[in-house]
Amino acid sequence: MPAEEMGKVTDRMRFVFAVSSLIFLAVLAISPFKDYRREWKQYKRSYLRFAQGRPDTKRLTADYSPDIDQIWLPGMNVVDRCTTCHQGITQASLADKSVPQPFRAHPPIPHNVREWGCTICHRGQGPATEVAEAHESTLAWEQPALPIHFIQASCGTCHQSDLPQTPQLARGRKILAELNCQGCHKLQGIERPAMLGPDLSSIGTKVSREWIYKWLKDPRTIVDKDGNVTVNGYETEEEPRMPKFRLSETELRALTAYLSVQKAKPLAPYKISPAVVATWSKNPELVSQGELRFRQMFCSTCHSLSVTRAGETKLIGGDIGPELTKVGSKVNPDWLIAWLRDPEAYLPHTRMPKYGWSDEDLYKVTQYIAAKLVDSDLLTNVPKLDPPTDEEIQLGRRLFTEKGCASCHVIQGISPQRDFGPDLSALGGKNASELEFGAAKIPHNLLSYIQAKLQDPVSVNPAARMPQYNWEPADLDAVTTALLSMKGAPPTSALQNLVVPRKDASFHPTGSFAEVYERYKCYTCHKFNGYGGDLAPDLTYEGSRAQRQWLVEFLKNPQTLRPTLILRMPQLNMSDKDAATLADYLSMVMQHPSANPATTDAKQFTPAMATLGKQLYEVKYQCQSCHTIGGTGGYVGPNLNNAGGWLTAAWIEAWLRNPQALVPDSIEPRRNFTDEEIKALTAYLMTLHAGIKPQETATLASSHAMGQGASR
Amino acid sequence: MKTLRLSGVVVFGIVVLCGLSGCGKHAEAAKADPLLAAYDSEPDWTDSTKIIPLGYQQAQGKRVFYQYCVWCHADATPAGPSNRSNLTPVPPLLNDGATLNAESDEFMQNIVTLGGSAMGKSAMMPPYGRTLTAEEIRSVIAFTRAIAQPPYQPPGRPGSQYSAK
Repeated sequence: MPAEEMGKVTDRMRFVFAVSSLIFLAVLAISPFKDYRREWKQYKRSYLRFAQGRPDTKRLTADYSPDIDQIWLPGMNVVDRCTTCHQGITQASLADKSVPQPFRAHPPIPHNVREWGCTICHRGQGPATEVAEAHESTLAWEQPALPIHFIQASCGTCHQSDLPQTPQLARGRKILAELNCQGCHKLQGIERPAMLGPDLSSIGTKVSREWIYKWLKDPRTIVDKDGNVTVNGYETEEEPRMPKFRLSETELRALTAYLSVQKAKPLAPYKISPAVVATWSKNPELVSQGELRFRQMFCSTCHSLSVTRAGETKLIGGDIGPELTKVGSKVNPDWLIAWLRDPEAYLPHTRMPKYGWSDEDLYKVTQYIAAKLVDSDLLTNVPKLDPPTDEEIQLGRRLFTEKGCASCHVIQGISPQRDFGPDLSALGGKNASELEFGAAKIPHNLLSYIQAKLQDPVSVNPAARMPQYNWEPADLDAVTTALLSMKGAPPTSALQNLVVPRKDASFHPTGSFAEVYERYKCYTCHKFNGYGGDLAPDLTYEGSRAQRQWLVEFLKNPQTLRPTLILRMPQLNMSDKDAATLADYLSMVMQHPSANPATTDAKQFTPAMATLGKQLYEVKYQCQSCHTIGGTGGYVGPNLNNAGGWLTAAWIEAWLRNPQALVPDSIEPRRNFTDEEIKALTAYLMTLHAGIKPQETATLASSHAMGQGASR
Repeated sequence: MKTLRLSGVVVFGIVVLCGLSGCGKHAEAAKADPLLAAYDSEPDWTDSTKIIPLGYQQAQGKRVFYQYCVWCHADATPAGPSNRSNLTPVPPLLNDGATLNAESDEFMQNIVTLGGSAMGKSAMMPPYGRTLTAEEIRSVIAFTRAIAQPPYQPPGRPGSQYSAK
């Protein structure tokens, strides 16, 4: 450019300047347009239009502002802008399904949405102002929104004790505990019990090497196309607690060799009196008598047998103990007799009670097991196993710890393993970037990861040591929910204060009661002050409920009038002394503060009161819709034929006043009886006496509760 | 001049790009995740192949129903047999739309809260107002409405003429 033209403005330069100015102007104009078109602003405006079409426009728009709405809870680490678009979230008139999202009201929940925000339950990106950014679960956002199907996980993050509103979560936690996941993993709120798998220190005295081989190879054997599991040749929907480990032939041979030589406590065979053997061995009734005793003692309350009815093979019985269909081909007969006489001597912490056996019963039952509960084909697919060599035993010993067996099973001389698998107590809060997906073709988010890992551990990590489980879809979702709830210690002290811890119940009585209680393992099925099983009635207030004499009779002879009912109190062949010890303790100690039988005067009940009570029962309140007296009535509640011989007057009065105060989850509705009506009904019920023991007849609700306790 | 022309082209390019990105869709619509659609549900009592999806309140109602009501208001219960055939008059099935659809929400709320005799019906229906919360009773009614056969049509329900987009 020549020097004289420097500083001169040419036409061409003017033109270029004008054009670029126009372009910049256009750019500036685009920016406010883009701002105007922002997603959240569109929702803001459409909410206004929507509200104008509703009859209560004024109320719907009272809080309206054109800006971003935000719920900020500094103590809880919550910044939620969700209400920017979800503007009708607290408007009761927008609850109907016809209201389009995002304006619909939130369904009523126990927590105030304004007080808690949204992401504390739904997860997702609270500060985001675009739909995809806030909810997206396919992109690897740190916390994608939780699908509603798993929402109970969020309840469980704070509520570590189970809530009635979260059945899926409670089931998931229960499965995690019952499948002994805490044997290898640290889990939030699930503690290691005293015993996980059985102690194997003397397993060599109980079963053969061949049986161990078959069991280790696959405790489940086969899963058919309907998802039914075949255990030892019959089908069941339940799984054994022992999962399937992926073991090679060498590993199987080594582990079976090692286990079959474990005989820490040598077997001391018990000699059944020769007189009993002489009387019974030639008796053609021996096996059928044994089966009768087996049934009468209610072994099936804890143990199941496979039964074929109408071409369908099913397991019938409880699952507290192992199923016994082929136990005669499994265990050493001498071991069986020793075990039945004193289970605790072989297996500390076992849940099997110590029955009072006569030699005659012992002989009959064991002969029944040896004759009927057998399968000669049980071990046909097991290869011939030679006597174990030293190398096999050495390798087996090493594998026992390397495979994680020592996490659940005890063997003398092997130190127990802790935390063999990864710590899962904060799994539910993990980001996708912290997880290992391997070659698995699944969406990269936590939910998919958990489900893939549970279903097929090798799919996300070829070197996984986790065994193979076979899940029902509902159980898989329940376990996923429970794992998602475990987010570790809350990040802020405000949140820490909100955690409702699990109640750690324990009941350790002392004295002569304790000895009997431990021997009969009452806590396997019954609860005492929150501690124990949930198969049978809670005995925490049994002393207020039942009369002492009734308790003694029931303990001595807990027979049922309905043999079809499978899960029943076993007949433990209790001595008079044991029954008296238990009944005395229950009557004296296990009392409810508002129902003390000693303070109720039985003389106050007059025949006139009983007559009025009968009228109230039959006409005004029609209790017969649920209760049976004298053969008529419903079977939702217990049969009251023997109410006067079973219940205490104090209990009936307190119960009629408020059933839920005594049994919180009782389904009997709390009525508004007057004091006079309560006295009259009590007087009437106390006149009812019959040889029938009311607790022994099935009620719909209680057999359901039992079924729930028994399932898994 | 050459540099100016060049910079003009660059500026124009930037403008075009800005404009294009401003007009384009910001994010593609989220892909349908099957898990997101898996709400709590109830199999249809009259057609086992049909699944009725439930919202939060209805799912809570289902829980309450299966704990308290199922024993008399269904023909099959979690324990197996039902107490329903044992009662006179026979209580309606919970999904009996022909009977229950005609009853108002207020009536349903009252008969559960106060019992049958207070509402001129059978005294065999006990009152649950002192056992269940009002919210639980409302949720049971919501569940009843969700599973009704024939389906329940709320009276005077405002039609959905409005769409968010």
